[in-house]
Amino acid sequence: MLRLVFRRLLALAPLLFIVSVLTFSFTSLLPSDPVDLIIGDTGTQEQHEMVRERLGLNQPIVVRYVQWLGRAVRGDLGNSFFNSVSVTGAVMQRLPVTLSLTAVSALIAIIVGIAAGVAAALRPRSWIDRLATVGATIGQAIPNFWFGLLLVAIFAVNLRWFPATGFTPISVSPWDWLRSVTLPAVALGLSSSAAIARQVRSAMVGVLQQDYIRAARAQGLSARRVILKHALTNAMVPVVAVLSFQITVLLGGALIVEQVFAINGLGTLAITAVRQQDIPMIQGLVLVMVGLVVIVQLATDVIYGFLNPKARPS
Amino acid sequence: MKTWITRSAFLAAMALGLAGMPAWAQGSGTFKYAEQVKLITMDPQKQSGSGVPFLRPAYESLFEKGPKGETVPLLATGYEVDGLNVNIALRKGVSFSNGEPFNAKAAAANINRGVKLGIVEGLKTVDSAEAVDEFTLRIKLKEFDPAIINTLCYTGGMMIAPAVMDDPALDRNPVGTGPYVHSKGESREGEVQVYTPNPTYWDKDKIGLARYEVWEIPDDTARLNALKTGQIDAGNWLSNPQAAIIDRTPDLKLIRVNGGLNYHVVISDREGTVVPAFADPLVRKAMALSIDREGFNKAIQFGLAAKSFQPYGPGDWAYDPSLEGVYEYDVEKAKALMAQSKFPDGFTFDMPSIPVYQSRLEALAGFFKEIGITMNIVPVEPGTLARRSRTTDFPATNLVWNTTTDPKFLALRYVYEDANYNPFKTKPSETMLALAKEGLTSVEPEVRAPAYRKMAAQLAEEAFLIFVTNAPILIGVSENTAGNPTVVYRYGEDSINLRGLKAN
Repeated sequence: MLRLVFRRLLALAPLLFIVSVLTFSFTSLLPSDPVDLIIGDTGTQEQHEMVRERLGLNQPIVVRYVQWLGRAVRGDLGNSFFNSVSVTGAVMQRLPVTLSLTAVSALIAIIVGIAAGVAAALRPRSWIDRLATVGATIGQAIPNFWFGLLLVAIFAVNLRWFPATGFTPISVSPWDWLRSVTLPAVALGLSSSAAIARQVRSAMVGVLQQDYIRAARAQGLSARRVILKHALTNAMVPVVAVLSFQITVLLGGALIVEQVFAINGLGTLAITAVRQQDIPMIQGLVLVMVGLVVIVQLATDVIYGFLNPKARPS
Repeated sequence: MKTWITRSAFLAAMALGLAGMPAWAQGSGTFKYAEQVKLITMDPQKQSGSGVPFLRPAYESLFEKGPKGETVPLLATGYEVDGLNVNIALRKGVSFSNGEPFNAKAAAANINRGVKLGIVEGLKTVDSAEAVDEFTLRIKLKEFDPAIINTLCYTGGMMIAPAVMDDPALDRNPVGTGPYVHSKGESREGEVQVYTPNPTYWDKDKIGLARYEVWEIPDDTARLNALKTGQIDAGNWLSNPQAAIIDRTPDLKLIRVNGGLNYHVVISDREGTVVPAFADPLVRKAMALSIDREGFNKAIQFGLAAKSFQPYGPGDWAYDPSLEGVYEYDVEKAKALMAQSKFPDGFTFDMPSIPVYQSRLEALAGFFKEIGITMNIVPVEPGTLARRSRTTDFPATNLVWNTTTDPKFLALRYVYEDANYNPFKTKPSETMLALAKEGLTSVEPEVRAPAYRKMAAQLAEEAFLIFVTNAPILIGVSENTAGNPTVVYRYGEDSINLRGLKAN
């Protein structure tokens, strides 16, 4: 298992290199020019050239990339084109916000998804099963930003139970953090909980028909023990694979939900950076997001290996 | 015993009260304002667009606009124009929040820095600035500039402490003379900028708050929700559905501040190099007449704008009321003009579009279609419209004009042969050129106004700028803010005057 972790981490370096080359190339191909935004509508050609030189944009793309890479390997991702804010600082400031939102969403998705899936699987074709199936279909069909707006309208604007916008760090106030993260996390976790519920139901129905479950029941084990210890543990193997994909989906979805709730996370930063064509910021963000996805997938593989010994690397 | 206890309690309370009383007015309460744009820089001389609400707490300009748009001294006490020299008397007893004194030397350093950076459009006529004596600043102009004092009302006149001018981190550490100082420790990058009272402020009675916050909430719906739930006291909006919701929500109020954005079509190819029809004034007039501005306003701008036939809005000194309705929607008249022109069968042209203007252009294309003109909407990358409009890539374009901008810039942008948005280098008519120059002969608005009113009439006659609607600056406020008598909206700006502002 350690070898797997080591190999994956080793593969991260060339992956980040390829991603950085692609991001740098694509952002440089965009027709808009960040210098236009910096000098404004009335800037002269002379000013334009001056700012391009200051930002190093007058140099060939290969030279710019090599210079950027040279600094990046030393841990310096540079500064924003538009101000003195460092890319590393900006990303690190927002990373806990997005991770916090994603983690709570994943937790909600897992709890709701597993509970609904198990309930449906225990009574196939019953009204509970049908309700869970319809709920999962609706959950996957509803766009999370729209659901977020709906939650804000009901629970923030009308009932005033939660704040409509913003994010309070847990270090400032755990209670305010919980209040600020609840609605966006529910909005974000809905579709993932639906996907997990479907997967859990399908896996559980299969497992519950296995001989060893019948044997466990025949031995007089309690229904709770049979379901939680024997059935669910085995049903979780395919669910973990789905979960890995869902966490990646949640990270992507957080970018949209952050806008709806005016949360200052990586998504808000990414949208601003793309609008301004702030190349150093875009580069930094893409690298961090890729790194996060790789780590999530690695963690999933490790958990998968623990749950399913056959899947462990030899 | 009882008397002793009472006396002791009284003395203790007095002592506590005295100990707790600051040596300067501190203000109380918090006021929260939400901006629709993300903060780019807090260096006023590098500010090229929106974002002034982030600057006003910490920076003050030499002059500012009064309630009716008149120029009022702020860090200055008066001025005198002597040919190419503008002598400005400065306020005494003012210091920057870092303790540096504000004097003519500091003011001259600021103006010279702004000239060198070259981003503030209004400072482009300035050659240099110097201190005549401790409190007299002299600005030397390259050419006579009647708008120089107007420029000094905004970012061009905001004063930065000289000691921090070369600090690369100035864009996040503003140091000015304003009533509040930026609290970097309490601010959160990309989310909220926090300001607290400036202990060295020169007019302490005007500090009414303990804390002022400017929140960055670019999403219109999120900003609206924040206003509805009381998370913010005020915020700015464009003429969009969310602003319309504020306008009809009973416990919210939409304030229409003087100034705003005038949306217009620019016929760049007015000599007909690429599209011959554009050389014909009858065609251009027909286009102007074919636009149902009232319908456009209701459908596209949610009824929050007003029909426009000239560059200035009602209340502005250059506004000419006689031009109202000059191109009132009359499709039959427009068709008749097209029939009289050399292009009775119509023609086709390309118009650049960015997403925010897409619906506007679709509406305009519909109007032009009625008179046989096909306008192809060509999407361009967001952020490139201004640059592409300065090239010959398109025979026409669509832009906005800030109605409180000095009228001299209208000529600089559209009229002169080398104007920014005259890419085909069309020579202006003799009449237009004469009027543009006549407007530059004095600094007094009442002297300049007749020339610019005539120029607006001439623009209508030549019809290469087709004005469509004028949307005021919209500030959405809570019921409490609407009833707060200390809330004063700055003329022509999307911000609230912080001097004297108290919490709701």
